[in-house]
Amino acid sequence: MINYEEFKLENGLKVIFHQDKTTPLAVVNVLYDVGARDEDEQRTGFAHLFEHLMFGGSKNIPNFDTPLQMAGGECNAFTSNDITNYYDTVPAQNIETAFWLESDRMLELAFTPKSLEVQRGVVIEEFKQRYLNQPYGDVWLNFRPLIYKNHPYKWATIGKEIEHIEKATMEDVKGFFFKHYSPQNAILVVGGNVELNDVKTLTEKWFGPIPAREKYVRNIPSEPEQSEARELIIERDVPSDALYMAFRMGDRTSDEHYIGDLCSDIIAGSKSSRLYNRLIVEEKKFTSISAYITGSLEAGLFVISGHLNKETTFEEAEAFIWEELDQIKSEMMDPNELTKVKNKHKTSKVFSEQNLLNRVMNIAFFENMGLLHDINNVLTHYDEITAEDIRDFSQRIFAPNKQSVLKVKIKK
Amino acid sequence: MNRVAAPEYTQPESLAIQFPEEVKLANGITLYWLKDVKDDSVKLDIEWCSGSKYQSKKLVANFTNKLILSGNENQSGPEIAERIDFYGGYLQHELDRDHAGFVIYGLRENIGNVFEIFTEAFGSVTFPENQFEKERSVATMSFKIESKKVKNICQRRFIKAIFGEASVYGSSATETDFENVQINDLKAYYQSAYQEGKPVLFLVGNVDEAFIQQLKIWTETFNPQPLAYASGEPLQEKGRIANIVVSDAVQSAVRVGRLMFRKTHPDYFKFQVLNTILGGYFGSRLMANIREDKGYTYGIGSDISVMEDAAYFVISTEVGIEVREQTIQEIFKEIERLQTELVSDEELLKVKNYLLGEFLRHANGPIAMMENFKNIHFNKLPHTYYTDFIHAIHETTAAELQDLAVKYLQKDDLSVVTAG
Repeated sequence: MINYEEFKLENGLKVIFHQDKTTPLAVVNVLYDVGARDEDEQRTGFAHLFEHLMFGGSKNIPNFDTPLQMAGGECNAFTSNDITNYYDTVPAQNIETAFWLESDRMLELAFTPKSLEVQRGVVIEEFKQRYLNQPYGDVWLNFRPLIYKNHPYKWATIGKEIEHIEKATMEDVKGFFFKHYSPQNAILVVGGNVELNDVKTLTEKWFGPIPAREKYVRNIPSEPEQSEARELIIERDVPSDALYMAFRMGDRTSDEHYIGDLCSDIIAGSKSSRLYNRLIVEEKKFTSISAYITGSLEAGLFVISGHLNKETTFEEAEAFIWEELDQIKSEMMDPNELTKVKNKHKTSKVFSEQNLLNRVMNIAFFENMGLLHDINNVLTHYDEITAEDIRDFSQRIFAPNKQSVLKVKIKK
Repeated sequence: MNRVAAPEYTQPESLAIQFPEEVKLANGITLYWLKDVKDDSVKLDIEWCSGSKYQSKKLVANFTNKLILSGNENQSGPEIAERIDFYGGYLQHELDRDHAGFVIYGLRENIGNVFEIFTEAFGSVTFPENQFEKERSVATMSFKIESKKVKNICQRRFIKAIFGEASVYGSSATETDFENVQINDLKAYYQSAYQEGKPVLFLVGNVDEAFIQQLKIWTETFNPQPLAYASGEPLQEKGRIANIVVSDAVQSAVRVGRLMFRKTHPDYFKFQVLNTILGGYFGSRLMANIREDKGYTYGIGSDISVMEDAAYFVISTEVGIEVREQTIQEIFKEIERLQTELVSDEELLKVKNYLLGEFLRHANGPIAMMENFKNIHFNKLPHTYYTDFIHAIHETTAAELQDLAVKYLQKDDLSVVTAG
């Protein structure tokens, strides 16, 4: 059970407080409702590059990290296709340092040319390290544009290509900041061993004076329903062939989210799952297999991927997977199988909620979806799912003419 | 309002460390138990002194650990996995050079069932051929994938340089080792390292006495016998050891380091302060120079990696191939600065405060507390370790740090390996 109190500032900033008296720590988390989906197609990777610049000094504070570390704190951030999230963990008595720092960078960045130049370099190295210099690292750079034809999900958070990052200008940076980093576009969540009244006072003091800016209204192309099978084959210097299959499904806020999540657990979520048993243990056609949902805020995906054993052909691999998908579409599962995946969620939920930062971030995500009231109902949503729901979902989602398939072949 | 001046802050006070209760089980086996847990979670670690340094053939310790729940005449591996999953249990396999074991996660209501399935499977494993072949093909492929990454290519050569191949810590597996493992090796290793081993149990959870009783009964089945290994004296190869060329790579992995002392050494605490300044946190000198000033890398860090019989200090990064040599020069420049200039009062205070905050972050909640205790237990440290550490941090002076840099970071004592 996650407790919380909500309030709002006049400039439009939404604030949520989550108290935990058992920890000596406090977390200040700021979620900005901006991600790679809000980028211009000619300037991709910008939301993420911008996240790096948020640590390059703000209007009144030349360096973000130093004063935070001085107060015993630590910080980090991440960008996805949907959102950008910043967080600071500090000894609870020093929480004001985090308020001071986060509010100043929401007020205005320093916009120093040095910071832009250096972070362009850092992000290009990140691009190389994570996407180019790893086996299978560029799979999603290639897979996204096959799956999404209109929606900005067609490019990855890191960006389409390194050239876009190289071309970013200071003018772009300023424009992006004033468009997206306004108090109305942010959610502040404060958690830990602090009192509501102090949080209210500190929020008013530091964030209250930030002027409201023009509200950004998201207007991005939607993705039409897919009605034909798509396939892309790429050849790479990799140790094994790999197969990726994606099916469109509902978004994070739809009913399909929780059903899809359980369905992915049944298909390939653990060592007792269907595909693991059949394809890795019994038939030895694959050396790894996984299934998961992307949980994106628009046009979600159900993904199945795996590495093929050296004797296995792609045709065989696909046929085996389809056999299992056809079975889940046509046969009602044993109730024990459903109970099993629900029980696993129950355990993992208890463990994940032990962590203060996890709880705080979860509050921010739920508020961003407009579903904060639902945050304590997650297990109920899983519990209510029936075998019929899984079968119906499978029938809707797993259609041969709605799949996108990427094959990574060993380069000869 | 004044947005320029930082708000007041105070140093975190001393740490409230909680120690587990010690419970004697059968055959001299000990359980360490933290029961003050506010929710229904239960985490049970079972660890044996049966890490890979005890094996006489490469990968045997690894395969034995991975396949310990692979089944017997009456129930197959997938059936065991199915039953553990049904009770909402999670089972994690743990293996390093020194230790091997399992972590079981569950909820209070089901932990007894999960543990029962585990012990039944553990006690009767026959290492079925089918499961063994599956594991061989899965592990071989995952090894091949990992072997494509420059960081792993570099790390393997680096630890060979640090320890020498004669040491249990210096060698790595190769692809042929995966073909040489046999089921009989696993059976023998299971017998000597697990059945005749002496596990230690670490339990975090508000469980009832019946569960403790269940643990006690299980430990009656053991017949602990000492297990020997030939440690092999570490022998470091110093200097510029290797530049491994990886075709098509767009980044080079870089490792710079040396053999180091263990946590019981009198210089350990203060050297950790020095390590933090050099590369131990986001505000470190290496990050400030090589990432935040030059933009050569996504990240660079330094660390002391401590094992049972040896330890090493390492600086690691991945950088653009074209700036590899400049990066190595800058690393040496930063080390030299630590040897020739005193760390400023401000920087020293920042690092001290940051480290004190880290202690709080790493002691947050009972699971973290148990991890701290495991550190004390396995490294044979006094119970005052964390308070001593905090005390030493407060006491550290700039002059001492300079002395340590001169004493332990001489260029001639370092090994350098790159791959990419």
